[in-house]
Amino acid sequence: MNTKVIIRRLNTGVPGLDQILGGGLPEFSFNLIVGQPGTGKTTLAHQIMFALATPERPALFFTILGEPPLKMLRYQQQFSFFDLDQVNASIRYINLSDEVAKHSFEQVLTRITHEVEVFSPALVFVDSFRSVMVESQDLCEGPISLQQFIQQLGILLSGWQTTTFLIGEYLSERNPNPVLTVADGLLSLEQSVYRNSMVRKMQVIKMRGQATRPGMHTFRITAAGIEIFPAALVRVDSGDMTATSGEEQNRVRLTTGIPRLDEMLGGGLPSGYSLLVAGPSGSGKTILATKFLSEGVRCGEPGVIVAFEQTPSQSWIRTLDDLIIKGQIGLINTRALDLSIDEIVQNLTNLIHKMKATRVVIDSLSGFELAVAPTFRDDFRESLFRMVTVLSGLGVTVLMTSELEDRYIDLRFSPYGSAFLTDAIIVQRYIEVNSRLKRVMAVVKVRASNHSDEIRQFEITNEGIVIGDPVHDFEGLLGGRPTRMLDADTVVRGKP
Amino acid sequence: MPTQSDSYSEVIRKVLISRAGTTPDAGMVAEATLIIWRRMAALLAPVIGVRGVDVLFSRALQLTSKAFPCLAIAGAQGDSAVLLANLKAKLAANATNDAMEAGHALLVTFTELLSTLIGESLTERLLSPVLASPAPISEQETE
Repeated sequence: MNTKVIIRRLNTGVPGLDQILGGGLPEFSFNLIVGQPGTGKTTLAHQIMFALATPERPALFFTILGEPPLKMLRYQQQFSFFDLDQVNASIRYINLSDEVAKHSFEQVLTRITHEVEVFSPALVFVDSFRSVMVESQDLCEGPISLQQFIQQLGILLSGWQTTTFLIGEYLSERNPNPVLTVADGLLSLEQSVYRNSMVRKMQVIKMRGQATRPGMHTFRITAAGIEIFPAALVRVDSGDMTATSGEEQNRVRLTTGIPRLDEMLGGGLPSGYSLLVAGPSGSGKTILATKFLSEGVRCGEPGVIVAFEQTPSQSWIRTLDDLIIKGQIGLINTRALDLSIDEIVQNLTNLIHKMKATRVVIDSLSGFELAVAPTFRDDFRESLFRMVTVLSGLGVTVLMTSELEDRYIDLRFSPYGSAFLTDAIIVQRYIEVNSRLKRVMAVVKVRASNHSDEIRQFEITNEGIVIGDPVHDFEGLLGGRPTRMLDADTVVRGKP
Repeated sequence: MPTQSDSYSEVIRKVLISRAGTTPDAGMVAEATLIIWRRMAALLAPVIGVRGVDVLFSRALQLTSKAFPCLAIAGAQGDSAVLLANLKAKLAANATNDAMEAGHALLVTFTELLSTLIGESLTERLLSPVLASPAPISEQETE
C-alpha cells in the first residue's frame, strides 16, 4: 500500500505564478515574500489571498506597523480582485501594531495564537515581517528571542495546517535570518530601473518539494493585479530536433500567396518553419508578410501578427486591418518601450491558442528590439532564440521581418546574428540598373529542402509583389551595381 | 438620490435614538453616543489598529467642534479614557436636543472620514453590526 503523503497544490490565482512555482503553491507551506518597498509584495499577497480564501478556507491577514492598514485597504481595493464581500466573511484583517510596539514576542505570538484558534484560518498572512525584525531590537529582552519566535510561529502555523506568507523587505545575506531556514518557499520581487524604463521581476529562490521554473520572470501590475510572464523554457525536445530528414521532406508546405515565391522556396514554406525576410527599408517585407497571412486566411489557416511598425493608409495594411476587424487575424500591436520578450511570448501564445492560429508574423525584429526595455537589449539575441523555440514548439509557422541596412560590401541577413535561428531566409535588396533602383529577391536557405538559388527581380504593384524571371544577364547584383554580362542578348525585365 | 452623507446621517440618527430611548435626557444621549462609538472602535481596532482609530476619532472631534463648540476638548490627543470621560460630561451638560445633534454630528463625521479613506462599501461592511437597522431598545434587551 502506498502511504506517502500527497501534497496538494493550490492555484494561486495570479496569472503565471503557478507555472513558475512548479505547479502551484504547496498546501500548509510556510512562505516568504521579500522585496524592496514598491515591488508589489502586499499586492501579490492580497491577490493570492482573495483568490484562495473561501468560507471553508478562510484567511487571516495580520498587519504590523509598516504601511498603515487604512492606506493598505484604501489602495488594495483599487484592484479588481479585491472583493468586498469577502472582507469579514472569508477574510479577516487583524492589526498587531500595539502588540509589537508595546509588548514582547511572546505576547505577539500569544495574540496570533489566539486569533488563529478563534478563526481557524487555512491561510495566514503577516505584513510586514520586517517590522518585527526592526522591533526585535527592543523586543529581544523578552522571555523568547526572535529566532524562537519565528520557529514557534512556524510550528504553530504548521500545526494549525495553515498555508502561511510572511511579507518583508529583503534580508541581507551578511546577516542570515532564521526565518530563511524555517521557510519552505521564498519569493523575491524586484524592480530594476534602467535608463528610461522600469521592469518588475520575480524569482522563486526556494520552494520545497517541487521543481520551480528557474530564472527571473518579468511581471506587470495593472488594475487587475499582478500578471507574471514566465521566462520561456527551452526544452531539449522542443523544436524539430527529433525530426528525421525524411519527416522534414514530408512536411506540409504552406503557400505564401505570392506567385513564383512558393516555387523558389521549393514548393512553399514547410509548416512549422521560421522564415526570416531581411531587406532594406521599403523593399516590401511587410507586404510579403501581409500576403502570407491573408493567404493563410484564404486557406483556412488563421494567423497572428505582432506589429511594431505600422504605416496606415497603404492598401495592403488596409487589407490586413479588414482581416483583423473580421477576427480572421489576431493582432498584437504595441509601441510600449518597457516590454520583456517573455511578456510578448506569453501574449502571443495566448492569442495563438485563442485563434487556433498556425501562421505567425513578427513585423519587425527591428521594431521589436526598440519596444523591448533597454535592460533586456543586451540579451535580445538569446531572448529571440527562446521565442523562436517556443513558437516552434507550438507548431506554428513563423515569418519574421528584419530591417537590413543595404550594404554592398558585405552580405548579411540579420543585424542580430539571428539568421542561424531560422529555418529559412529570404533576402531582398536594391540594385541600380540604368539609373533606376530595382528590387531583387533570393531564397538564401530552406533547411532540409531544395530551393531556388536564383536572384529574381520583383516589383510592387497594387496587387502586391510580382516576381519576375531570374536575372540572367547581369552580374555583381549583390554589389549593388550590376553590370551587363557580355554574352547577354537581352535584358530580362521583371514581368508578372 | 440620497448622498453618502445623507445615508450615514439617517442611519446613525436612528441608531442613536434607538439606543438613547424614547424620552432621553442629555445624560442618556451622551451615554448612547459613547456606547455606539465604543462599538465602532471595537469593530475597527482589529483592522486598522487602535492608533488608527484614535487618530480618526480625534480628527472627527476637532472637525465637529467647529460647529458644536461644546465638544471642544483641550488635549484631545491625550489618553482616550480621559478624553471619552470628558466628552461624555460635555455632552451631558447640554440640553437634550443639543446633545443629540452634537453626538450625531460626531458619529457621522467619524464615519464619513473613514469612508473617504477606505470607501463607502468597506466602511459599511466593517461597521455593519452598528449601522444595521436597529431594533427598538426593548427588543434589543430581550434578545
